[in-house]
Order: sequence, then structure tokens, then C-alpha cells
Amino acid sequence: MKFTSIQLFTILIAADLLALIAGIGIGSSGIGFGDLLSPTPIVSRIIIDYRLPRTLLSMIVGAGLAAAGCSLQALFRNPLADPYILGVSSGASVGAAFVILLGIASTINIMVSAFGFAIITSWIVYRIGKTEAGIPVYTLLLAGVAMAAFLSGITSLLIYISAQDMYQVVFWIMGGFWTANWLKVEIIFFPVLLSSIYLILSSWNLNAILMGEEHAMSVGIDVETFKKRVIAATALLTSAAVSVSGVIGFVGLITPHAMRIIAGENNKILLPTSLLAGAAFMPFVDLLSRTITTGEVPVGIITALLGAPFFLYLLRRSKIAA
Amino acid sequence: MLLEIKGLKVVLGSSEILKNISFGVKRGEVVGLLGPNGSGKSTLLRTIYGVLRPSGGVVYFDGRAIPDFSIKEVAKKLGYLPQESFDTGLKVKEVVMLGRTPYIQGFSFTEEDLKIVRGALNLVGLSNFENRRFSELSGGEKQKVLLARVFAQNTEVLLLDEPTSHLDISSQLEIMSLIRRKVQDGCSALIAIHDINLASAYCDKLLLVKKGEIFAAGKPEETITSGNIREVYGAEVEVRKIGGNILVIPSPRRDADRKKWIHVICGGGTGSEIIRDLWIRGYRVSAGVINALDSDWFTASELGEVVDERPFSEISDESFRKNVNFIERSDATILSNLIVGRGNLRNLEAALHAAKLGKLFVVEEGEFENRNFVGDEAMEIYKSIISLLPESRVLKSCKELAKVLEDL
Repeated sequence: MKFTSIQLFTILIAADLLALIAGIGIGSSGIGFGDLLSPTPIVSRIIIDYRLPRTLLSMIVGAGLAAAGCSLQALFRNPLADPYILGVSSGASVGAAFVILLGIASTINIMVSAFGFAIITSWIVYRIGKTEAGIPVYTLLLAGVAMAAFLSGITSLLIYISAQDMYQVVFWIMGGFWTANWLKVEIIFFPVLLSSIYLILSSWNLNAILMGEEHAMSVGIDVETFKKRVIAATALLTSAAVSVSGVIGFVGLITPHAMRIIAGENNKILLPTSLLAGAAFMPFVDLLSRTITTGEVPVGIITALLGAPFFLYLLRRSKIAA
Repeated sequence: MLLEIKGLKVVLGSSEILKNISFGVKRGEVVGLLGPNGSGKSTLLRTIYGVLRPSGGVVYFDGRAIPDFSIKEVAKKLGYLPQESFDTGLKVKEVVMLGRTPYIQGFSFTEEDLKIVRGALNLVGLSNFENRRFSELSGGEKQKVLLARVFAQNTEVLLLDEPTSHLDISSQLEIMSLIRRKVQDGCSALIAIHDINLASAYCDKLLLVKKGEIFAAGKPEETITSGNIREVYGAEVEVRKIGGNILVIPSPRRDADRKKWIHVICGGGTGSEIIRDLWIRGYRVSAGVINALDSDWFTASELGEVVDERPFSEISDESFRKNVNFIERSDATILSNLIVGRGNLRNLEAALHAAKLGKLFVVEEGEFENRNFVGDEAMEIYKSIISLLPESRVLKSCKELAKVLEDL
């Protein structure tokens, strides 16, 4: 698979459009593409109030998680880094579980609480990982892992206490878009957009970081400030994504990896293509989650079931190619 | 001075890594930083570039203090190449393009940037490597790509931290001549380097760093002396000049320091190993009587004094007396596993004299009768030699010598 970057961008944008159309045209209500041509009021309602925001939301979340994962993999020079490395997901889970346990689980309350907890968690991880000399990558990673373990414990405790609400908490954590609406789209659109723009503008500097922090300094990058900003942007982006969709795993980890095999290591190409690929992959998985059975399968389950084997396949292929 | 370092001090934790370092680098000059591991060479380069903050002193570039520059500006003036770099799947041209980062305006590189990158790759001879992955290159090729990256930065000073470490000899020479060529085009270089000979050959000036201080500075022939090397590295070397180049070769001890004097009675190649071994262990050595052009004669005359006789001639009275004189002045005498003929019979007599003085050690690797081409006369002398010696002084191999001589 060798494409020029223009070909690659064209293919991915086409895939995004296709995902958008499929997301609108297919669903469990039986309304298909044929109905789109002569819409009745009910068809319009379902399309505009339900399928369109849901598809858009999944695209935004997919794009954001892929961009965040890609940036953090470069920043930490670690292929295992994903958007949740700073404890965002476990923080958000505690936030959501808390609100559900208190019995005030409106959509907006869960969202605000999850977002707040996620941001605070990543801030605490950052403060713990920070030293006088700067932000050593390993301290930060370990602080993130330890914090995530601690917060998972709290989440489990909350689930245990919550008894009859347990189902709701677990379902939220598994992640999905069934609560999508225009408000959610509006709320997360700008944080994800602005963070993504910042990350794309920083993509060349991420290349310099790949060779080591001292190398990045030697080409004139203020590494400590840069790290802080990338961490802030990814924390904002990931917290926003998690707050509307729950914890959707694997997308942020494997999308950049898959694109790396096709597009190469250069973040200037890799980051935007990962973003576009995430935006195509997520609505596709969501489509499966709402059509595969008569009910809803949480998206997180499908990303893991589909994503992990696909990733292993790519890994194996690239190993053989190398 | 293009680059001037004044009173630089660096404290890391509780230890003072650099103490009051001052020197200057002129335009068009290649300055080598030499010193043992941990002497502060890397710290010095990192502090000059600004990776580390000095606790005292200032670095001036062209008369302006470096802290007055933004890091982006510094990267346009000083091309710093750290010692360690991570492997990356980036393409070669992308790695070199990183050198244009300080010049980037907006999001994209210009045609000018691309031209400079191609020029830099061309200079290091890797033009057709543009699209190869950096991680797939050999060590020498990687180092050349990194060098091209610094060259593409178009700086006036190069700060290179061990650009030749882990490289084979041909890559080392290539890297050094690339740096020289770049300096000729109008910049200067400060290079931390481990190989003294390489540094002497390619640098205009050397700085010898010892425990965070500059111990000596100047032209290679002024700085690289066996005295300085002993002080800085704690190693004994001999410094030779070969065709304007300086060559440092390891030597265990200088003659003046060689306290014990061992005389070796040998010939026909039976003494070379003994002489060499004794010399390496720091003994002063002499040998005799040996016919000139004998293989022992070559070894002995290179490493010490020889009592010699004309080729294929019998030992004369004069040589015999000189030999005895050497024996009397030596701290110990060794009789090698010598083959005895008419010509060198008097060496046995000299050995007998040494035995009587209590100075003799005998190496008897094979039966004497098999080495005796004279007959009873020689056998008699040999027997009386052995009878005078305690058993511990008759050795079955010259390898045992080192141990017995230690008790001297």
C-alpha cells in the first residue's frame, strides 16, 4: 500500500463522507436511502434529530481520540500511549458513576461531571509527574498508570455500592453514542476542533521530539513549554470526547498505528490522516453497534473486538514486511 | 572570538560538574574537547547550547550573551548535535529537514529549505538516501544524516558531542573530514571526542578537560604530551610525531620510572618473549651477549640495552666482560632456554657468575642435553649453575617469571 499524501487524503475524505451518508441512511428503524429522497416528516425527524447528530458526534469523537493518541505516541516516543494515558478515562468514569449514584443522572450532569473529573485527574497526574527540571516522560506515564489504577478502584467501589444503578454505570463506561443529541455535538465541537488544530500545527515539532528531547531543543523548540501545551490540548480533547461518549477504547491506540503503516512516521501527514481515519472508523463501528442486534451493543465492545484483531494483523504484516 | 565562554560553572545536584571554565573559539577553527569519561565534556557542550543552566558564568556568541537569544535564535547560531538520539522511522530527508525547524514560517517549508536540505545531504554523500527510513541505516550512515541535519541548520558554530563514537575507522575519518570541510566553508566547530589521535589529526586546537576544569589548551603538539595525558587520564603513553601527525601509543612506564633492572642472557629467539613481557611489566631490560641481527637482538635493542657481538662470531673477551658488568649491575639475571654452541658458550660462564652472585633465574623449557651442541664442557657448567640455585629459581616456562620476580 503506497499512496501519495494527496491520494491518501482524498481516499480518507471520501471515506468520511461515505461514513456520514451511511450513518444517516442506515438504521434500526427501517428507514433507508430510498426514504431520504422523498422524506416524510417522521423520516426528517429521525434523520435530523437522531441519526445526523449521532453520526456527527461519533465522527468528532473518533477524530479527536485518534489525533490525541497519535500526538501522545509521538510525545512519549511510546507506541503503547493512548489518549487515556493521563488517567482521563478513569477520572471520567468516577465522575459519571458519582452522578449516577447520587441519582441526578441527567445527560448534562453526567457530561459535566465526567468532563470535570477527567480534566482534574489529568491535571493531578501532570502535577505529580512534573519535576523541577521539567516533565520526564516516564514519571508522567507511571503517574498516569498509578492514578488510573487508584481511580478504577474507586469506580469499582461506586459500582459495588450503587447496586440497582450498576447497569447504568457499567453501560456508560463501556461507551456509546445512544444518548447523542445536537447539544452534545455543539458542546464538544469547539474544544475538539481547537485542540486538533493546535495538534496539527504542532505536528512537525512532534517529529523533532521523536528523535529525543535534546534533539528537539537543538532545532530551536522550547521542549518543556511544548510538552505542556500538547498535554493540555490532548487532555482537553480526550476529556471532552469521553464526557459525551464514555470510555471508547482502542480507537486512539490503533488508528494512528494503522495509519503509520500506510502513511509513514511523519506526523505532518500521520496526524491529520489519523484524524480523518478516526472520523471514518468511529461512525462505521457505531453503525454496527446499533444494527448488529435489535438492541444496542456498546461501541467500546465492538472497537475492542474488531480493532484488536485488525491491529494484530497489521502488526504481523509490518513485521513480515520489515 | 566567535564563541566565548567566561567562567562557566555548572552544579548538578550537590556536585560541581564544571568549575570556572573559560575559553574561546575563533571563526574557522576546529576545537577538540578531550578528557576522560565524566570529565564534563558533554556537560560543557550542553551548557553552551543552553540545555543546562549554568550556576555561574556566561557564554557569548559574537559578543552577545546567549541568554539574550530565544532558543529559536540560538538554534540558528549554534548547531548542537547531542550524543544520544532515538531511532525513528522518519525518512532521511525528514530528519535532515528537522534542521530547518528554526527557520520555519507558518506551516510549510519553502523551496529554499528543500534546496538547503538537498545540499546538506549531497555534502555528506547521501543524496540517494532521501527516502530511506532513518532506522534502516547503518551506524555510520545515521551519523552522517545527523550531521547533514546540523549542516542544514546553517549555523556559524557546530557543537558536536562525540560524533564519531561507535563508528568504524573509515566512518570516523569521513565524519571528521566532513566537519573540516564544513568549517572551511565559514564556521567553526567545538567537538567532544574520545580518540586523541583522531582529535590531534583534525583539530586546530585542543582542550584537555579534567574534573570540570581545563587542564591544558593549545595546539595538538603542545597539549598532547605524555605528562598531560598522565595527569588527565592517569594513563602512561608515549607520544610520537609521525609526519606532522601526533600519535599516542600506550606505554606502561617510562624508562626513568623503571626501577628494577633485569638482564637476560639469551639468543636465537629464546629471549624475545621474556624481554617484551618484562618491559611491559615495567622493568628496565638489557640482554647479552647476542649476535647482531639475531631476532632477540631486534627486540632487545628496541626495548633496552644489548651487549652484542658481530653476526656469526664467537663471544669476544670484550663482550664477555661487558656482559658480566651488566649482570653485576642488574637486580636479577635470567638465563633463557638457550641453545648452546661453541660461539655462545661463554654466555653459560656468565650465567654461572650470576648464579654465584645469587642473581640468577633459569628458564628450562626443555632438557639441557637437547640444547647442548658443545658436549661435556657445557654440561658441566650447566650442572654447576643448577646446583647453585634453589629449586624455585629454575622455571619450567617463561610465563612463571612474572610471579617469581615480583618478590624481588
